[in-house]
Amino acid sequence: MIISLDGITYSHRTGEQELCVLKDVTLDIMRGQSCAIVGSSGSGKSTLLNILGLLSRPDSGEFHFVGYDMCSASSDVLASIRNQEIGFVFQSFNLLSRLTALDNVALPLSYRGFSRNKARQHALDHLKQVGLEDRVTHLPSELSGGQCQRVAIARALVGNPSLILADEPTGNLDSQTATEILDILLALNREQSVTLIVVTHDIAMANHFDRKLEIRQGKMHEVAVARDDKHV
Amino acid sequence: MYKASSHIKVTQIFSESIDNLNLSKRRSILALLGIIVGSSSIIALLTIGGNAADEAVRIFKNMGTDILVVGFPYSHQNRQPLPSTLDSQALRKAVPGISQIAPITLHSAQLSHNGQNTDASLVGTTQGLADAIGLKFNAGRDLSRYDHRETFAVVGARVAKDLGSLGNPLRVGDLIRIDNYLFNVIGIAESLPATPLIPIVLDESILIPIEGMKRLRPAPEITGIIIKADEADLAALAEVLNSYLTQTFNGREVDVQIPQQLLDGLRHQASTFSYLLAALGGISLLVGGVGVMNVMLMSVAERKREIGIRMALGARQRDIRTLFLLEAVNLSIVGAIAGALLGVAIAFSFTHFSGWEFTLSIMALPLGVGCSLLTGIFFGLYPAISASKLQPAEALRAE
Ligand SMILES: Nc1ncnc2c1ncn2[C@@H]1O[C@H](COP(=O)(O)OP(=O)(O)OP(=O)(O)O)[C@@H](O)[C@H]1O
Ligand SMILES: [Mg+2]
Repeated sequence: MIISLDGITYSHRTGEQELCVLKDVTLDIMRGQSCAIVGSSGSGKSTLLNILGLLSRPDSGEFHFVGYDMCSASSDVLASIRNQEIGFVFQSFNLLSRLTALDNVALPLSYRGFSRNKARQHALDHLKQVGLEDRVTHLPSELSGGQCQRVAIARALVGNPSLILADEPTGNLDSQTATEILDILLALNREQSVTLIVVTHDIAMANHFDRKLEIRQGKMHEVAVARDDKHV
Repeated sequence: MYKASSHIKVTQIFSESIDNLNLSKRRSILALLGIIVGSSSIIALLTIGGNAADEAVRIFKNMGTDILVVGFPYSHQNRQPLPSTLDSQALRKAVPGISQIAPITLHSAQLSHNGQNTDASLVGTTQGLADAIGLKFNAGRDLSRYDHRETFAVVGARVAKDLGSLGNPLRVGDLIRIDNYLFNVIGIAESLPATPLIPIVLDESILIPIEGMKRLRPAPEITGIIIKADEADLAALAEVLNSYLTQTFNGREVDVQIPQQLLDGLRHQASTFSYLLAALGGISLLVGGVGVMNVMLMSVAERKREIGIRMALGARQRDIRTLFLLEAVNLSIVGAIAGALLGVAIAFSFTHFSGWEFTLSIMALPLGVGCSLLTGIFFGLYPAISASKLQPAEALRAE
């Protein structure tokens, strides 16, 4: 079991107001599973993904990641786990605009104490895996959306994470590129048995995953996957 | 407990911080300016202050430290008139350890020679003054003990220049009119820088025998005595002098100054001055520091998303803090170095144009550079800490 949530609640505070987004989320995810998280806009998908990615702490409930209690962990431990166990893929890519594709990919390794050269070497290997070996020295502004997202995937993979979290990774891409990106992610899950959790609006896309989870009224509901149109 | 691998090296963060500065040059330059102004002013001001003090002390030292200057402060209780001159022989006998004695009376006068007019201080004195204060002659000679009845004059450098004209400079043997008397030039002095110890500015003066002052001014009184000592213990000599003169002059107050007092006073004044200047530099540095803080706060606000991304990729709070702190420190290092160069250049040209000797004071560079660095760290700390305390999810939402 890689993730175990029990009775997680979370509210956004803006000044006086308090908006309770997650009311009671209980969820277990096994290593190597691929999960799609769906739900209407504003239902709290991104909020949940931030909690799963240790980017924000739940208000209450229990959260164990690879067996460790995340609620009592220090922020340094959370940073180390993000660095070593989790790869993020964002809708808006979130590449550092001032770094080349290569240095963007190398960045997580530098936070692990790798030398610049060694980090770049690994980064180059991962850029090759996503087919971008000829765009190594380009800045993000010189790359297409699909290329940027592939750089981001390389960056998410470079540290050999056990979990990849993607928040609408294809939301900013045309349907053909979106399919390519999704294929890369699913192939990773299949071939390297990386646990994959993807937030998506796309029902057809959601059907390619092992599990489909829907957030409704702050609670988690397992939904049956329509198996017939899953890729082979 | 979760086992973390090793963490990012500070050298790595340092090289990133340099890249970041290179990438936001324009903003960096703005903050640099404040630091440069601050550190260069500290360095320049301290150096100039130090050199000014050195210069004063040096001029002073040239005069010799074996001079005593006697003055007669005016007092309401005892307004005994002073004699017009002094019995040097008697003084020499009563107070051992004196090598030269020169009483002076000070007035001012208009001089004319060959159609040239100038103002000068009219100094009545005796032989011994030149030797006591280290005066040298361009031409002619000093007053002598046989001159006391003569209308002889020794002319200071500036006065001689003013009374001469192009192609017809003042010469020994020329006649100078002072009021209704013609005085014979017997000596023309070399320029002698003014010092705070000697109550006359020689370059601006004309020296005449003190006995002759009666001709020009009604009831002249001696204004002071310049004495060159033979022995080392000036303080003891000063005491003996004081009691003798008080007695001789019917209880008039007598003030004997020795160079050490003045030197100390001068040093004290000079150092007070340079500390004042340094404080001024400190204030500019403070302004520079606020500039750094401002730039860093702006930078943190602008790069919130970057901070969020870095955190998502595994940067710890201290890594973010170090990154921004090093950026502030880099700014101040560059500013401090540029400021040091600028400050030394300013100090050098200032001393050069003042005709002083230039020495880099030992304290100025480390003080200036050190203060800039501390400023950078101090004012960079708050932005850096506030950056590190951002919540990753919130930082990632920033635009
Ligand atoms: N930082 C915040 N401060 C206040 N409210 C917030 C904040 N972030 C999200 N919310 C609110 O919390 C709710 C859930 O937001 P969240 O971003 O998780 O939704 P979502 O399911 O990802 O939606 P979408 O599909 O549109 O991305 C929304 O109503 C949103 O307005
Ligand atoms: Mg969302």
